[in-house]
Amino acid sequence: MPRSVHISTLIPPPLSMVKRLRIPKARQKQLLAIMDQARQRTATANPRELSDGLRQGKKLLSASAAR
Amino acid sequence: VPPPPVNPDAVFLNIPYDKEFQNLYLAYISGLYQLGLEPFVTSGIPGGERRLDRILSLIQSCRYSIHDLSRVEMSVAPPATPRFNMPLELGLTITWAKMHPRRHTWFLWESTPRRIQKSMSDLDGTDPYIHTGSVEGVLSELRNAFIHRNAPPVRKMVAAFRLLEGNLDAILAGAGTRNLYAASVFKDLCFVALNAARIELGT
Repeated sequence: MPRSVHISTLIPPPLSMVKRLRIPKARQKQLLAIMDQARQRTATANPRELSDGLRQGKKLLSASAAR
Repeated sequence: VPPPPVNPDAVFLNIPYDKEFQNLYLAYISGLYQLGLEPFVTSGIPGGERRLDRILSLIQSCRYSIHDLSRVEMSVAPPATPRFNMPLELGLTITWAKMHPRRHTWFLWESTPRRIQKSMSDLDGTDPYIHTGSVEGVLSELRNAFIHRNAPPVRKMVAAFRLLEGNLDAILAGAGTRNLYAASVFKDLCFVALNAARIELGT
């Protein structure tokens, strides 16, 4: 058996991880827009392919990018 | 020089930067974020004589490391040569972990059983995780390596992976490159993977 470890990290990952990436705010907004466009395309073309999270209408904008 | 402080959620990813590995690369990034872990790679480290020092420093700052040796094989382009960077970085990691077992834990990953016993018989007795070359294999084995009582089911992990994968072309276009392994693209992938995890697993 391969070794394993027990972890107690935060799930879902916290927003502090976004900050540590040090991505400029403008690029963060571009990336969120890309994600939202993909979601809209899927919702229009094939709504059944939308994942549970997206179907429930979870906000794509993370707090750090919205500031 | 004292070693850097350890980030308890950080995972050093020792992986091949080749085209055949792209989906698994995305799977590792996506899967680690879904388990609340942060991936780190060497792609942002410049070449030169200090590169190895910086790689060692990165290994020392990460609590865990994953060494995927599934693509250590002869190159197609002449001269036929196996790639040794990953085994070298594994060697550095094993030494560091032997010296400081409470600071670092490393994991071996392979695509097929028993290949590691042939390529690196000194590691006999160290069982690798076998991902079978599939995204689902990487995600389910990550759940086995990092046991978390709130770990998402593989079905949800695949959904978050698809969110990342579905945005790949636009991410690359925005970054002005086709190189998935560029340092700036890695940050973009991390950002999207992190947000995808927050969407799928609830914010």
